[in-house]
Amino acid sequence: MDKPLLELSNVSFTYPGAEHPVLLEVSFTLQQGDFVAVIGSNGSGKSTLCKCFNGLIPHYYTGDFEGELKLLGESAEGKRVSELSRHIGYVYQDFENQLVRPTVLDDVCFTPLNYGLADYRERGLRALELTGLSGLGREFIWQLSGGQKHLLALAGALAMDPDILVIDEPVAQLDPQHARQIYDILRRLNEQHGKTIVVIEHHAEFIAEYCRSVVLMDGGRLRWQKPVREALTSVEELLALGIYPPDVTRAALLLRPDRQAAGEYPLSCEEGRAWFGRRADAVSAADSDSAANGRTLAAASAAASPGTGSYAAMEAAVSRAAAEPIVRMEQIRLSYRTIHKTLQPVLGGINLELYAGERVALIGNNGAGKSSLMKLIAGITAPTGGTVQVKGITVNGLPPERLSGMVSYVFQNPEDMFIDDSVRGEIAYYLKARKLADMDERVEELLQSFRLLELAERDARLLSGGQQRRVSLAIGAAVRPAVMLLDEPTANLDISTKQEMTRVLEALRGHVETVVIATHDMALVAEWATRIIVMSEGRIIADGDKETVFSDGQLLRRAGLAETQLMEMSRLLNLPQICSSLEEFTAMAEWRKGELIYGGSC
Amino acid sequence: MVEAVKRALNKISVEHIKLELLGTAYNSSSTFLGRLDPRMLLIWYLFFAITPWFIYNRTILLGMFVFMVVTTILSKVSPYIVFILCLGLVSQIGWMFLLSLFFGGGAESLLPMLTLTLKLSVISLASITVFSSLDPERLSDGLSALGVPDAFAFSLSYGYRILPTLLEEFHQILLSFRLRGQRPEKHGFLYLRTAAYYLRILVLVFYPLMLNTAKRSRTTVEALETRGYTYAVNNPKVKKLRLSYLAMQRRDWLFVAFTVVYIGLLFPLGAAVPNLLY
Amino acid sequence: MSTLKTRYTLTQSQKMMIFVLSMSLYGLSNMFTELIPSIQLGPIELSVEYFAFIPLTLCMLFHPLYAAVGAAVGEVIFGELMLGQFGGLGELEKFITFSLAMYIAGRMVSDPKNRRQVGIAAISGVAIHQFCSSVIDIAKVWVGVEELEAVQGLAESIVIIEGVGFLNDVLFSGILFALLPTMYLVPRLYGKIEPLLGMKPRERNMQYASGSKSWLSPKLLGGAILLALIAMGAELLSESGWSIGEFELPGAESNEGMLIWISMLAAAVVAAVVLTVILRKASRRRQEAGQLDG
Repeated sequence: MDKPLLELSNVSFTYPGAEHPVLLEVSFTLQQGDFVAVIGSNGSGKSTLCKCFNGLIPHYYTGDFEGELKLLGESAEGKRVSELSRHIGYVYQDFENQLVRPTVLDDVCFTPLNYGLADYRERGLRALELTGLSGLGREFIWQLSGGQKHLLALAGALAMDPDILVIDEPVAQLDPQHARQIYDILRRLNEQHGKTIVVIEHHAEFIAEYCRSVVLMDGGRLRWQKPVREALTSVEELLALGIYPPDVTRAALLLRPDRQAAGEYPLSCEEGRAWFGRRADAVSAADSDSAANGRTLAAASAAASPGTGSYAAMEAAVSRAAAEPIVRMEQIRLSYRTIHKTLQPVLGGINLELYAGERVALIGNNGAGKSSLMKLIAGITAPTGGTVQVKGITVNGLPPERLSGMVSYVFQNPEDMFIDDSVRGEIAYYLKARKLADMDERVEELLQSFRLLELAERDARLLSGGQQRRVSLAIGAAVRPAVMLLDEPTANLDISTKQEMTRVLEALRGHVETVVIATHDMALVAEWATRIIVMSEGRIIADGDKETVFSDGQLLRRAGLAETQLMEMSRLLNLPQICSSLEEFTAMAEWRKGELIYGGSC
Repeated sequence: MVEAVKRALNKISVEHIKLELLGTAYNSSSTFLGRLDPRMLLIWYLFFAITPWFIYNRTILLGMFVFMVVTTILSKVSPYIVFILCLGLVSQIGWMFLLSLFFGGGAESLLPMLTLTLKLSVISLASITVFSSLDPERLSDGLSALGVPDAFAFSLSYGYRILPTLLEEFHQILLSFRLRGQRPEKHGFLYLRTAAYYLRILVLVFYPLMLNTAKRSRTTVEALETRGYTYAVNNPKVKKLRLSYLAMQRRDWLFVAFTVVYIGLLFPLGAAVPNLLY
Repeated sequence: MSTLKTRYTLTQSQKMMIFVLSMSLYGLSNMFTELIPSIQLGPIELSVEYFAFIPLTLCMLFHPLYAAVGAAVGEVIFGELMLGQFGGLGELEKFITFSLAMYIAGRMVSDPKNRRQVGIAAISGVAIHQFCSSVIDIAKVWVGVEELEAVQGLAESIVIIEGVGFLNDVLFSGILFALLPTMYLVPRLYGKIEPLLGMKPRERNMQYASGSKSWLSPKLLGGAILLALIAMGAELLSESGWSIGEFELPGAESNEGMLIWISMLAAAVVAAVVLTVILRKASRRRQEAGQLDG
């Protein structure tokens, strides 16, 4: 545990043509057997730091480099990337692009084969086994799910049996169950196989559960490297940098700000159960209006967040009774052909009606059929059986050019929507094609409401993740559709940008009648949705408001989803309602640790 | 015409191309020829791709043609490809013949051209036989064993890897154009307007696609670096290891022997009966 | 550690990126152009021959050699091998003439922002390629048909067919799918796509990459000409083999058997020579690339 595996001393690096260094006098030691999380806001140098490990910097990215790198006690000077990479496996954030062979076995053997290791096949097979992919060796890469591809990228790195594994955002694109699966594998590699692991991670809950120490990057400097508990309980410092510690830890800060220095905050729900208790005077928001008002007062900072829970459900119920449904799906079936010429059912017997004013969250794990369902509504794919009607018009079979006034579909990857060379051009494209008279005003209005005025002339591809999302929403809204469908709008965003998304979604009001979001981000669902549809294996297994869906913990697990920490805590503490925001939670829970010892046992 | 365009657009459907192309590409190892040593097959191909140019004896050409037809059947080539091939040959030679009639030639000009057709057929069938029998991995290993640069061999299998991804992305961007675009109200003369609309989009799609692919290539090449690709390129030993599974087996020798004997017999026969057919 | 100061150097990986980029994009487009139906008006075929604007654009924006070769490889892999239409050696001549034409077009542009220059280069690129392939096609018939002159009107008709084909490809495909899109894309992409690959844009009037002599060196131009010669050679060398045969053919009927063996031997030699030259060339190019990295 004490042997330094890798040492950076006083490393500074400037990309060619850049004004400011992206790394500044960074010194860092990686101990054998450690499990390190690198955190920091966007542009703080996290990835750059990790790319120093295997020499990508400065050999691949030529730039001004100073300082020294030691790997296994030897100076890395003069060694090429390919030499250093023997000891360091690297899994990229856009891991799909690091898979370069057509079939799984081929890809996993690629690295050891390149290094001329005679047992490349055995190594590949063993790596597949370690990542739980055995038996998929002959599959094509494009047949794998996103999670499997990620595991394959990991297996490709493992095949070399490296000392160090670097994984850039391991769970960004995964649903909670698959995310956990990845981390469980990493833990096994760390504990049983002695691998040293470095992850770049936004999700503090995973860091708390799996990592041993944390490195905080800030503006190119390494601010500190601390054991995980000490690191994550520095709540205020982290929040100031836009990094969000686990919800329970933040709740603890709100309840007992004075304990921060001691580092005595819970990091997980398990711990939280011992730390918190139900407040004696806690009343459910649903119970009385006055309590709801009281809560709203307490949650003044969350004023922007939408009217939650039963209120909205009531609204929806009213509009349902009054109006025709916007979307009506009857007995929808969908299947596709596989390479073995068999039919693979994706959706079976879906009946669904959506109404104006609803904010629908479509939840379920990867592969549950969420995207397929939305594509059907959008008319992009045609159902194998049944009909889809939007505003009384049957959409299956219509050419895409005729669909757009009714429905707009915002792709998961915003870049797939960028077809022009400026943000303004993107938004105006639809309006221009139809030569609408009020084009300029509408573009201005949209730029305004999605806060894109300053970015209007930039190329959307070169914007940050959060900005790209805003552009894609504005593009969708420009169509003024009756229904807007968003596919995973918070995927690949860091937590602070995710929180911003909730506010951006508000901007859709007035442009769109009904919004549907497919997601597995429960925090977003909890904060935003008025109606939740749970899907699993191509079927709708639940449909209702937040209270009904979230109070059934079993249901979420069945759908392959995980509760947020706050939900779980609410359940564990028997709070009168399932809380979706910190404010709600702190209004109902109280600090108990050290005061009521008898309640502390689990 | 509009039907044709529609059909073409349907063919561009991602799933369709994925299934058809990749499915068939990797299913070829089940045929007799597909199991043969790729190096041997490639050299065999070279022979039949070059020698017909220098042979004017129709009997020999015919004998080769028969042999090629047999191997084509053995390799279970899709009839569609053979049809396309025939169509190409017939139309090329046909137009030449018609025009030469116009310039005062007669029926006698048909004969030399038939010979040309025969040659081209032998060559084309040889290439169809070999290249549709070898799955991409074996083909690239065979080529690389014969000294074709590794970059080509790598690109070949990378092509199969990246095609579905590219198609997917192409499809999405095309959809974005169509969802936000406006098709011409009227089809215009000969559907020209509609055709122009689609062709214009098809070209425009490549603007975003170029930028997105550029981003992707960067990570890919960077990842190749970390996965030891450059190390392999500079190390002949690695290539040896990669190709070590290639070995001439009994059936390879038999195939070679049969070809040699057949061609060996064909030449004396051709010398004896030069005008077997015409 | 070393700090690299030469900014315009293309590293090995950057060349590889250009290659991969060009290969995948042009390959994909080739797949579509193969599938797009053509309109046949008599011997004239109105078809979308190829999306030449892709390699043209990339050759003008990046290093033309890697973009050109990448595109040619892409065509072979996506447009031929994957669709099961690979013509074997016949593709060789296409490969070489195409990459040569694209390379020349790329070299003709010194300032990607100058639309006129871009336009002229684009149409020249297509014209060079189409011209070369027409010549080769004519040569093919020359070689393939015995006693070409003996057949009335054949020579003329071939030239006419090829000539019309050439004009059609240059005027139809060339303008619609090379000239216009290239003029639209190059200035738009200039300065935007390079950073995505981690490179600096080509500077105005910049001499090639690495600013080193090697790109303008006679070695490279010689190499290009050599490639062209091989392309012609693959078809024309064989012609000489044929004429030898013809000269002796009237000699004696009984000799024919032997003559065939001789011509076969000649064929084998040609094949061997062509192959070794190509392989040498390839490995030399690789070494050259390696040296450039330093």
